Amino acid sequence: MHILKRIAAATGIALWTGLASAQPVTVKMWMHEHPPRIAIDKAIIAEFEKANPDIKIQYDVISVADYSTKLLTAFAAGSGPDVFNNTSTLVTQYFNARIIAPIDYAAMGLSDEAALLAKYQGSGFDGIRFQGKLYGVPTELSNWACFANNAIWQEAGLDPKKDWPKTWEALPAVAEKLTRRDANGVPVRRGFDFNWAIPGAFWYVPNTMLHQLGANMIDEAAYKATLDTPAGRQVFQYFQDWTGKLRLGGPQYTDSRTDFLAGKLAAECSFGVWGVPQMEAAKLSWSVLPVPKFAAGVSDNGMDEYAFYMMVNARSPSPAQKAAWKFARFYTDHAGELFAGAGLFVPRAEVTGSAAFKANPAAPFFVNELKRAKFSPRVVGYTQVLDAILRGRDKVVQGEKVEAVVPVMNEEVNTIMNRERTRAATLVK
Amino acid sequence: MHYKWWGLIFVLPAVGFFAAFNLFPMLFGLYLSFTDYDLLNPPIWVGLDNFVNLWDDRLFRQALGNTLVFVAGATVPVWGLSLLAALVFDQAFRARDWLKAAFFLPVLPPIAVVAVLWRVLLHPNGVITSLTGGWWGVTEIRWLADTALAPFSMIAVHDWAMIPFFMMIWLAGLAAIPPEFREAAAIDGAGPVRTFWHVDLPQLRSTAVLVAALSSIGAFQTFALQYVLPNDAGGPANSTMVLALLVLKYGFQYFRMGDAAAISVVMFAMIMLVTLGQLWFNRRA
Repeated sequence: MHILKRIAAATGIALWTGLASAQPVTVKMWMHEHPPRIAIDKAIIAEFEKANPDIKIQYDVISVADYSTKLLTAFAAGSGPDVFNNTSTLVTQYFNARIIAPIDYAAMGLSDEAALLAKYQGSGFDGIRFQGKLYGVPTELSNWACFANNAIWQEAGLDPKKDWPKTWEALPAVAEKLTRRDANGVPVRRGFDFNWAIPGAFWYVPNTMLHQLGANMIDEAAYKATLDTPAGRQVFQYFQDWTGKLRLGGPQYTDSRTDFLAGKLAAECSFGVWGVPQMEAAKLSWSVLPVPKFAAGVSDNGMDEYAFYMMVNARSPSPAQKAAWKFARFYTDHAGELFAGAGLFVPRAEVTGSAAFKANPAAPFFVNELKRAKFSPRVVGYTQVLDAILRGRDKVVQGEKVEAVVPVMNEEVNTIMNRERTRAATLVK
Repeated sequence: MHYKWWGLIFVLPAVGFFAAFNLFPMLFGLYLSFTDYDLLNPPIWVGLDNFVNLWDDRLFRQALGNTLVFVAGATVPVWGLSLLAALVFDQAFRARDWLKAAFFLPVLPPIAVVAVLWRVLLHPNGVITSLTGGWWGVTEIRWLADTALAPFSMIAVHDWAMIPFFMMIWLAGLAAIPPEFREAAAIDGAGPVRTFWHVDLPQLRSTAVLVAALSSIGAFQTFALQYVLPNDAGGPANSTMVLALLVLKYGFQYFRMGDAAAISVVMFAMIMLVTLGQLWFNRRA
């Protein structure tokens, strides 16, 4: 009787195991909206499902404006995606909340980390390494550079190739020559302006300037704000002079990208390599130019880099996680198509050797800039810290003394970082 | 089954709906205000810490101040100007109905659409600057980018959109006053000002409480204008940051759901106090 029971139990287990293994694994995938990428995503998914009939990818595209909030609310409700992408500025939040899983190299079909890095010519992973482990694979690596509208420069008797300033100190004089003002001195066409409309621009641009001066907004290792330094005050004084004393631009005007594409701004510095198709569509004659440096700068870096990473939900069941990493490998192996069709650059041989890369006149320039670029610091509570910096920026632009604003901003950033780090340690069990 | 049970069964769907979509979120919000909750991990009970910490929170204090300024600007002038408009449109004159309809138009679009429209009009070199700045030769006014001007731009746009709405409420109140009262006042020799002061205004007391309560509640809860109108929501330098916007920011951008819930509870208490005060004033008067 006992033997019969055992046989029945074993048969039952075998049947259930067989059924379970026959069940396809569904991987929920969320991506932010980038219209040129969607058709490529769908083609990659179809190809993956054909090659892996036991894995089904449930693909959702979410608008950029809602993406990060929807991700968090979905994770809160326990319905987060198994695989998703997002930007390097937000990954620290995910890591601290233990949302993201470390890379499963075996599931990706790779021997180890070195095998993965070799595919990316070694770069792009600094933004996703925590405590020595990698937590995602880059789907886009980008930084900004400066672009000039050749027609406006020629009209002012200037040549961007020759007259583009090498230093931030020389920029106002050139911008003034390109600026057209009304009788009251109000700019009706700006020569150059910063991108005041995109909050993240004031993460990358001041950090870039501070990196050039051998400093940083935040010392990531010591986990302290380092804004209240001579270098920090110099950078914020520059923004104050730009908008106040020199009246060359400011947050009150149309955002720099929109005006540049409309042919109403002579130069700006917030487009990546992905901006070239937009300029071509706008029928602009353009030049790509290096980011200026401070005369007393000690580092020859261009604009800070950022990345989008494909990550896997650490709270998903193990089979879904394994399938998700397998898919992440398959997806990122299509880097050539993603660059050709959607302008998403990653430093892989199939991208740099592609016809699309060779046909993009700005691509080699950006690859060179990326080699010198640094990642901006990564902090828990990035959005709050950025808001504190934007508050400081706004006060400086309103004319408050830089010496008074910067220490307050520094203290506020420190308070936020300390509170958020303590919270992260308390909340995560 | 006893007939009274039938009654309970009939109201059950409505009560259930109210409990699920009104009562439960309110109580859950109250519970969250006593927790530290980052949306990603289970809430942790912290007692009154969130409320205590609010008073040390510079951003909360600024948002509270901005909200009170906005409430002041979005209530008292609105009461006066909407009553004035109602008194004008209460008179008989040619094309009155057409003009009244035209005056009411700003109420029709959603406030977010109004904000988008005014964002264009209030461009530093835009139409409003041309109309006003021309008087003293200025070609650029930073209506939305100056910390001193931006809060008043919010109030001006709000009042432009809301005065016609409250005018209609005053008009309904005026229409409800029996004409004999005014006739009697006229027979007694009262002029228009005395009639308004001694006849119309006392009769409009309950209308005034309604206008005051609705406008105060709406002003305390203001969100869309401050979210859409400035270049960055609540900016520049948080000069238009109001409590409702701070709730969104703390909850869904900073992942401080407990603090966001505590601010909501404070907002609720403030609105409740103001409304109760208005009702008490009405009864006492």
